[in-house]
Amino acid sequence: MRNEIRFVLNGQMRAVSGVEPHVTALSWLRADGLVGSKEGCAEGDCGACTVALGEVEDGRLVWRAVNACILLLPQLDGRHVMTVEGLRGQDGSLHPAQSLLAESHGTQCGFCTPGFAMSLFALSRSAEQPDEDEILDALAGNLCRCTGYRPILDAASALPLDEAPTQEAESARSLAAATSEELSYRTGNAQAYAPRDLDSLIRIRADHPEAWILGGGTDLGLRVTKAHQVPRTIISLAEVGELKTLTETETELVIGAALTYSRALPALARRHPDFAAMIRRIGARQVRNMGSIGGNIVNASPIGDSMPALIALKAQVELAGPQGRRLLPAEDFITGYRQTALAPGEVVAAIRIPHRRPGTAFRAYKIAKRVDQDISTVAASFSLRLEDGRIAEFRAGFGGVAAKPLRALAAERALIGRAWDETAVTAGMAAIDSDISPISDARGSAEYRREVARNLLKRFYFETTQTVEARLA
Amino acid sequence: MSVHQSKAHDSAVKHVTGEAQYIDDMPEPRGLLHAHLVTSPVAHGRLLSIDTTPALAVPGVAAVVTAADIPGKNDIGSILKGEPVFAEDLVAYVGHPIGAAAALTPEAARAGAKAVKAEIETLKPILTIEDALTAESYVMAPMEMKRGDAAAAIAAAPLSLDGEVMVGGQDHFYLETQVAMALPQEDGDMLVLSSTQHPTEVQHMVAKVLALPYNAVTVEVRRMGGGFGGKESQASLIACIAAILARKTRRPVKLRLDRDDDMMVTGKRHDFLIRWRAGFDETGLLHGVEMTLASRCGWSADLSPPVMSRALSHADNAYYYPAAHFKGFGCRTNTQSNTAFRGFGAPQGMIAAEAMIETIARHLGQDPLELRKRNLYRPGRDRTPYGQKVENFRLPTMIEQITAKTDFAARRAQIRAFNSQSPIIKRGLALAPVKFGVSFNNVMMNQAGALLHVYTDGSIHLNHGGTEMGQGLFVKVAQVVAEVFQVPLDSIKITATTTGKVPNTSPTAASSGTDLNGMAARNAAMAVRNRLVEFIAEHCHGKPEDVVFSDGRVRIGNHDMSFAQVARMAHAARVSLSATGFYKTPHIHFDGKSMTGRPFYYYANGVSVSEVSLDTLTGEWRLERVDILHDVGASLNPAIDKGQVEGGFVQGMGWLTMEELVWDEQGRLLTHAPSTYKIPTARDVPRAFFVDLLENAPNEEMTIYRSKAVGEPPLMLAMSVWLALLDAVAATAAPGKVPRLDAPATPERLLMAVKRASEAA
Ligand SMILES: Cc1cc2nc3c(=O)[nH]c(=O)nc-3n(C[C@H](O)[C@H](O)[C@H](O)COP(=O)(O)OP(=O)(O)OC[C@H]3O[C@@H](n4cnc5c(N)ncnc54)[C@H](O)[C@@H]3O)c2cc1C
Ligand code: FES
Ligand code: FES
Repeated sequence: MRNEIRFVLNGQMRAVSGVEPHVTALSWLRADGLVGSKEGCAEGDCGACTVALGEVEDGRLVWRAVNACILLLPQLDGRHVMTVEGLRGQDGSLHPAQSLLAESHGTQCGFCTPGFAMSLFALSRSAEQPDEDEILDALAGNLCRCTGYRPILDAASALPLDEAPTQEAESARSLAAATSEELSYRTGNAQAYAPRDLDSLIRIRADHPEAWILGGGTDLGLRVTKAHQVPRTIISLAEVGELKTLTETETELVIGAALTYSRALPALARRHPDFAAMIRRIGARQVRNMGSIGGNIVNASPIGDSMPALIALKAQVELAGPQGRRLLPAEDFITGYRQTALAPGEVVAAIRIPHRRPGTAFRAYKIAKRVDQDISTVAASFSLRLEDGRIAEFRAGFGGVAAKPLRALAAERALIGRAWDETAVTAGMAAIDSDISPISDARGSAEYRREVARNLLKRFYFETTQTVEARLA
Repeated sequence: MSVHQSKAHDSAVKHVTGEAQYIDDMPEPRGLLHAHLVTSPVAHGRLLSIDTTPALAVPGVAAVVTAADIPGKNDIGSILKGEPVFAEDLVAYVGHPIGAAAALTPEAARAGAKAVKAEIETLKPILTIEDALTAESYVMAPMEMKRGDAAAAIAAAPLSLDGEVMVGGQDHFYLETQVAMALPQEDGDMLVLSSTQHPTEVQHMVAKVLALPYNAVTVEVRRMGGGFGGKESQASLIACIAAILARKTRRPVKLRLDRDDDMMVTGKRHDFLIRWRAGFDETGLLHGVEMTLASRCGWSADLSPPVMSRALSHADNAYYYPAAHFKGFGCRTNTQSNTAFRGFGAPQGMIAAEAMIETIARHLGQDPLELRKRNLYRPGRDRTPYGQKVENFRLPTMIEQITAKTDFAARRAQIRAFNSQSPIIKRGLALAPVKFGVSFNNVMMNQAGALLHVYTDGSIHLNHGGTEMGQGLFVKVAQVVAEVFQVPLDSIKITATTTGKVPNTSPTAASSGTDLNGMAARNAAMAVRNRLVEFIAEHCHGKPEDVVFSDGRVRIGNHDMSFAQVARMAHAARVSLSATGFYKTPHIHFDGKSMTGRPFYYYANGVSVSEVSLDTLTGEWRLERVDILHDVGASLNPAIDKGQVEGGFVQGMGWLTMEELVWDEQGRLLTHAPSTYKIPTARDVPRAFFVDLLENAPNEEMTIYRSKAVGEPPLMLAMSVWLALLDAVAATAAPGKVPRLDAPATPERLLMAVKRASEAA
């Protein structure tokens, strides 16, 4: 067992011990003198702290932009970290992500700039030349209050793809060697574990019932930085192989609970493009590079975005615990406001999404104040299959309209068996009204939420019947 | 030539490498303590007692201070008195500082602050503008601006209408939160590094709270990570608290607010309730206008009085009101004390004008653009409500130019056709003009100083009273100096603003930074240059008028010397190579009592056209295209100016569409972080975003190289987005009906406006 967190920072091997494991990467970097990464919010929403995290995937070192402000130290273990200080070439020349930003007048106050440079660096390591949408995706998690973005987008459009320098492969090998032993980290009375298989995860969990189970930390990290809680024990899922795989069988997609959104996206985009489009609106790229569906559903927030779609897609949640494994329908997993069906000692192992029957229409909608990186005011997902002009199957999942994400059973009952026409929509809308019980908060009034929840069924109708253009490009 | 060229921001390379230092990035001095605020959890209450002992028991905590620990005056009101650093008897908003803890680590300081026990007897708060108006709760005497007899003009006009609109506030959301570091010096002096737009005021306030003469306090700022007005008066609070703790502990103290505290504690753009009444004829030509503007000032005056006077002096926007009567009420509420924010009240005033024009146009069934054009200032109809004459008005031709360039009429027709075919998605198109008065309304503030040294190697040290917050002021002023000496830009060292080098400065605000400091620096440079000219002419037995500076060289007759050589020779001949420069804006005057005069040296103008699509099922919308034509005179640096135009526009769009401040019934701000407070992201900027600077348009006034101020005016160009959304909503309403659309026009407000419009239709 290894009592040191080891990672490669800007090309240099680093080992950390004696620092409490809930310390964020941003605090650690800044205390270490790397003050280029800034804190603009400490909640993952502004991107000023963006660094790139490298991980070997399919034999290749893949760099992804992440928010250092909500990244806890154990999450660096076995990873490569690049900060703005590491971007310059060996000869001191600026990386294109830097020179293009400077030349295009993409900096004004400059406080957001290191974060943008890092998002651009990660983008420059993409496998393919990004298109405009991809560029917007890559920058959605970086706020700039000064420039109005146009010059930054110009810089991004001109950005060439970057070759990985040869040293990277070498340092990946030395890091792999340096982290061959499992992490079991302790300092004072705090500890962090990173088990490598599900069984040891469950065992360690049983020994530490108080422990925080750390997925991507995009919810958990905020407990440290915003609620100022201090965990004594952290169990990271980052190395549990089974939780990080995706398998596609004849009948279903099995998504490991700790697989990041970014890695789950390609398969989802093939199977359920609308679900993938919805996931692309969860947080921004930095968040999706860490966050997982497992974390999203265990967090059990009424505005968690994956659940409405999982409900409409008839997904199942696979749980694993000391007593073994079991499956639950998605709609039964979240039992109340921030409550789940997890028994003590249990973790989520996978999310199983059955393939749709041919002819099943599916749509996922997210309504928020802002397109990118915003929490849903209302989310809705519908799936529909007609047989002989009648509704044979209809499922509706909603978020943001009750204490938990819900399956709209009254609406389903009101529609099944009917013809899919405007009277059915009217009946469905009335039934949705009885399914939901929204509240008013900073994101929207109950009245607005009701109106939107109902109207989204109308949009679904227009979209499936292709009668009227009902969605903005 | 150095001016009129696109030059990169002087710190651009440092920005992209992360080497540009902000205060929190500076090496921490030995013994540094970190501070954290203790704030009021209630909006209004009597502060009965404070117990700091539990805080002192927290490991690492070195000191806790409250009002009782302030050696000097507990008042940092910048215009009116009554703004304590720490609350004494009353707490007046949720977030009101009542003390602060200093500790070895930020975490310990936070824990210490949390451990402070304050006993507060809760009182009923006043939270909204309406409640404040009813209670006549004001931070200042109501203001009035009038020309002619508006009531009579309206009564005599063939037609009249009235209306009301609310426009929300806005958090600055500078990416760098408020921060200051106070370092005790010999003799009890204090050095304060402050992220501030107004070092002089911070100096004065720190001196007052520490009971020191001004010369014992030095305030320095190299750069801010954004300011936008939020670090003008509000930075003093942060600096003073750091200084009070530093005095008490005799150690350096840093106070950096986290985002939640920054948003909970500091003031924002004022939200306004606007009521108007207008008399006009069948063509829509205005005869008389009455307006009441009420702003939510928060718990104290701060800069609310001048914000209101700027709002009133922009409630005409670009339009001639033959008779006008405006009233302004600054409402005292139990919320954050609202402050300067890019535009400084002008945006809210202009919204009043545009809401009125829009309503009248739709009421008459006219194209709002026609009504705008009809009412523009023009010769003979050129007197503003405050009496200044609008001369050489550029907007009429600018509007012609942009409507031609954007095919406005054709697109208007296309959109009409589209909307009649599309029941769910509606499009909207609008043009908004902007006329913005440049100069501080307070004449005294229109002055600036600079300090310039030429060293004997020809390198130049430049300092002035302006501060750099990202707007590119430093590079522009350096361009001016490079122009005077005809030396390369990189031979000029731009140095941190400090009260020790240039004293008694005005804030970097009111878009005036370059106009004032550029001129002061030019005057300083000219003083040295004149000495050099005289010296070289004499030395070479030539005439001063034959001395030529170019390409880093100085020539006269057959003599050709490098600038450095000349500097060395001048020094050897005992010629002073250092000078201060001073500038005050000419021709301006304003009588605050009657609210008349010529407060503005000139006007900056702009016009924008926006097109939107609106989803009438959800209120979601997209900005499809934006065209802007903006007047910066003869631009000193077109790239920097364009950056200001684009950035200002996007910030204005955020204000009017998505940035929503929400308080609960207890007066707690619910949107105090970017998770809940949404500013625009890259995707919100339209792909079709075309910004042009008006060409061949030097300022008629003798401004620095005939340029015009650019910091604030472009923000208001975003009015066209709001107006285009209104246009899209109107497409769902019966003809002649005008939906009301308060700002920010969030999806919710849009959907509700659509609902009201279609219910009425
Ligand atoms: C800036 C930002 C924007 C966001 N935007 C959105 C959004 O638009 N929509 C949205 O839905 N969410 C959003 N989130 C929330 C968050 O990103 C998601 O909920 C994400 O899916 C959480 O996954 P994670 O792996 O990071 O979870 P973590 O933070 O690691 O964990 C969340 C919770 O789940 C538990 N947990 C995690 N994995 C397991 C497991 N396998 N078994 C048992 N327990 C587990 C943890 O103990 C913790 O209680 C946002 C977050 C941030 C910071
Ligand atoms: S500091 Fe804002 S995302 Fe990390
Ligand atoms: S340059 Fe100031 S926030 Fe981007």
